[in-house]
Amino acid sequence: MSAASSDRIDGLAARDLHVARGERAVLREVSFDAPKRTVVALVGPSGAGKSTLLRCLNRLHVPDRGRVLLDGEDTAALDPCTLRRRVGLVGQTPVMLPGSVRENVAYGLDAPTAADAGRLTRALREAGLDTSFLDRAASELSGGERARVALARALTRAPELLLLDEPTAALDAAVARHIAATVRALARDGLGVVVATHDLAFAADVADRVVALRDGTAVSGAPAELLAAARDDGATVRPAHEEPRA
Amino acid sequence: MSRPLAQLLASAAFVLAAALLAYRQRLNLSRSLLIAAARAAAQLAVVGALIALVFRVPALAIAFVAVMVLTASLTAGSRMRALPGARRIAVSAIALPALSAVGVLLAIGAFAATPRATIPTAGILIGGAMLATTLTGRRLVEGLADGVDEIEARLSLGDRARDALAPLTRRAIAGAMVPLIDQTRSAGLVTLPGTFVGLVLGGASPGTAARVQLVVLLTLLLVQLLSALLTAELVTRAATLPGERVLALGAPA
Repeated sequence: MSAASSDRIDGLAARDLHVARGERAVLREVSFDAPKRTVVALVGPSGAGKSTLLRCLNRLHVPDRGRVLLDGEDTAALDPCTLRRRVGLVGQTPVMLPGSVRENVAYGLDAPTAADAGRLTRALREAGLDTSFLDRAASELSGGERARVALARALTRAPELLLLDEPTAALDAAVARHIAATVRALARDGLGVVVATHDLAFAADVADRVVALRDGTAVSGAPAELLAAARDDGATVRPAHEEPRA
Repeated sequence: MSRPLAQLLASAAFVLAAALLAYRQRLNLSRSLLIAAARAAAQLAVVGALIALVFRVPALAIAFVAVMVLTASLTAGSRMRALPGARRIAVSAIALPALSAVGVLLAIGAFAATPRATIPTAGILIGGAMLATTLTGRRLVEGLADGVDEIEARLSLGDRARDALAPLTRRAIAGAMVPLIDQTRSAGLVTLPGTFVGLVLGGASPGTAARVQLVVLLTLLLVQLLSALLTAELVTRAATLPGERVLALGAPA
């Protein structure tokens, strides 16, 4: 695959990731690049392995074979906690931890500094929330508000890359558009974003590149082409090196 | 009528009455009631005979206590079957606190070092440790199955696996201890605890019975807290995977 030509990517690079669950291969030799300043959309039907792939990128899941590189360095050699602070993941269900929005967003910042406080306010704004939210109980928020708090929580750690798993699942169209604009702005500011979504309109809105997953195999390329193919139920989405099966 | 005969007749009549009542009310419970009664009779007869033997041969007391620990561990272990090494976890979490407490009580002379005093005391402490281990273990296993999203959210924010599990283990320990503390708080008001009843029926003065019961209850509180803490620690170790990951029971897709 052309996208996987070099290992010296400024950002994340997946190389030949293979994950099996029992007899079934969830990911088959998946390779793609997710450079900084770029939004990569992972598209594919549910069960295609999108979440597993994201979890491999921050090592919540250890692939059976293959490597994930961060700035050219094998992530298996990094301290997992450091890796996860550099590569933030917002899961499919936005989990609110006990306490206020402030406690959620500042989670894990022991003794927040003035710089942290500034970042916290900025992260909230970027996620589309204002500071009036800070003292609300996280458990009382709506689904859309939770999604935004989870995004702000990840951004407060100033990650270099951000992995978003179905960020629009709980949101109405207007909020989804706001999140799309946020993601674009973050990428312009230098963040690398990998967003797993089955929402093709959202993918078309945000993505510089698209990686289509089907039966655990990845095809990457230009958004328009791949999204059109994904819309056609993937019939024409095949790896370049593989002949269409009869 | 002799007293033993009266006791046997009364209990047999009562259980038959219960079975008949259940049958008349079509509760479909008569069979279970009778089987439970028969099992209890057989078990107590065997235990009575065994303890009589142990009282004559004190060395057997050690084997008897070992069997109690083993049975308690199998019961508690089965409640956390989903975890690797569940039985080993249960043995340690029950035996260490319960047997240490028995050792301390014997060493300072709180109880006579005879089978007659040791076996019931060990039995109560082992039973209490089993309850604490079972309650804590079950909550932890449930948390590892239903609370995976929260644990993984914490891991994704850069927590160590141990730190990501800490809120779950604290909730499990607290949740397990609340009913045990309630039980201690209501002792003598709502129920007369077993030790007290046994001693009074056996001819001890109510004052003596109350004192011994208090020693047992207060010892139990520490034993049960230690069992709960030990269960949480051992489950945390069993659920922590290399690379700061956590074993998810009922893995997400």
